[in-house]
Amino acid sequence: MIQFESVTKSYPLGVAALDNVSFSIERNEFTFLVGTSGAGKTTILNLILGDLYPNSGTVIVDDIDISSKKCKRIEELRRHIGVVFQDFKILQDKDVFENIALGLYIQDLPLKKIKEQVREVLVLVGLEERGQYFPVQLSAGELQRVAIARALCGDRHIILADEPTGNLDPKTTWDIMKIFKKVESHKTIVIATHNTDIVNSMKKRVLVLKKGKLVKDMQKGGYEL
Amino acid sequence: MKNLLTSIRRTPYQSLAVFSSLFLTLFLSLLLIFCLNFLYGLLGYVESRPQVTIYFQNEASEASIYKIKTELEKSGKVESVKYMSKNDAYSLYKQLNKDNPLLLEMVTPDVLPASLEIFAKKPTYLPEIANYLNTVPNKDEVNFQKNVVNKLLSLTSIVRTMSLAFFIFLMATTIIILMTITHFKVALKKDELSLLRLMGASVGYVRKPFMDEALFLGFVSSTVVYSLFAGILFFLYPSLQGYLSGVPSLFVEFGSYQLTVWPLSFMYAGGLYLVLTAFGMGIAALATHFATDKYLAIQRS
Repeated sequence: MIQFESVTKSYPLGVAALDNVSFSIERNEFTFLVGTSGAGKTTILNLILGDLYPNSGTVIVDDIDISSKKCKRIEELRRHIGVVFQDFKILQDKDVFENIALGLYIQDLPLKKIKEQVREVLVLVGLEERGQYFPVQLSAGELQRVAIARALCGDRHIILADEPTGNLDPKTTWDIMKIFKKVESHKTIVIATHNTDIVNSMKKRVLVLKKGKLVKDMQKGGYEL
Repeated sequence: MKNLLTSIRRTPYQSLAVFSSLFLTLFLSLLLIFCLNFLYGLLGYVESRPQVTIYFQNEASEASIYKIKTELEKSGKVESVKYMSKNDAYSLYKQLNKDNPLLLEMVTPDVLPASLEIFAKKPTYLPEIANYLNTVPNKDEVNFQKNVVNKLLSLTSIVRTMSLAFFIFLMATTIIILMTITHFKVALKKDELSLLRLMGASVGYVRKPFMDEALFLGFVSSTVVYSLFAGILFFLYPSLQGYLSGVPSLFVEFGSYQLTVWPLSFMYAGGLYLVLTAFGMGIAALATHFATDKYLAIQRS
């Protein structure tokens, strides 16, 4: 479960990113974060990941209070969070298999188990034939699938995606969203997006942000600004 | 091991630079350690020789010589005193010149003086003992190795101080060079490191490949240095043997433990290798730790 209580976050020079934001996301819930650029979507994702800490208020993820700068359990928490970055963050000197397996190596799993899990997730994202390919040999859509596969691999039950379809064509966008739909029953998914079609079509929970404030919280909502 | 070799292969120049810096530092350190050990061994050897010898005139009676011997032993400043009578000296002379009958014919026991060989507890007692011996009656001559011991003591002290200063400078320079090179390596992998941290990798996990490489290069460079040094020593061994022909053995003391420096022993050679390897791996690991520390902390803003 993800819980924000009266969270305020401002960046140096006083730029307010979030202003007194409160919400909670249940386990295995699918949520969209929408809002204009600078509304605070990425800040929320970074707060959940523990990359930022709030100026005031409380952020609790998986029963771990990560509001304090000195929180010692950030590493432990991050091992349960998969992140899909807007710029993919795929390592160019590693092949698809190695990129996906990164999170499993961290958990020090035996190689046999790593191979099994990577194979499973490659099938899930439709890249079972691309395991030995290097990033330069893949299209943007395939790279995003690799990023999603990496986020899904292992015991990562919270998936954060920041504009996962930002640079993709409509068909590839839908292919990507289908992957999220496949795993939504057992993952908590939070997606920050500008894509109106996706939000309107999928009828999931929508949190609307405006200038750092949470202005709407809709179950089965649509895209609103 | 596969990842380690891949990492070295992908950044060959950085790895070569690390190896070269370590090689130079370790070679000079080994040379310093070896020379210092030898000097200390030599100092110990000189200190163990008769340090003050008094020769008596023919008029000196055996009783008066024994009286002086007793007084010296009571002073608490001498380790031992050895009396050598005229007859003892003649016997020794005969033994040393047994192959030269001409020399034996020319010398009788009367020609050789009786003497006392005194071993001081500390080199600093030598002048005091010599001053006392100069005042005893029927003294012919007093010889003591003050100058030799003092020169060796001051030489050892200078070499030790200079070595220490040079060693610290060498170590600091090496650590800075290794840190800079490792910084480059870390910078090349910055994206991967930040991604790993975001995925929950521990500091130890992220640091491990760098540390493994540092330890590997530390081990390899110390082994190469040691092999080269051993080769040079092996080459020079006959010359050293000739030079130190009169010296049966040299020791250095570590607390109550005595380590034989000369003739070269397996224990000493093994000890040197262990110290060198630990030192090489240690500075490489230390430099890597400092270099990676900055990048690995979770910087929450």
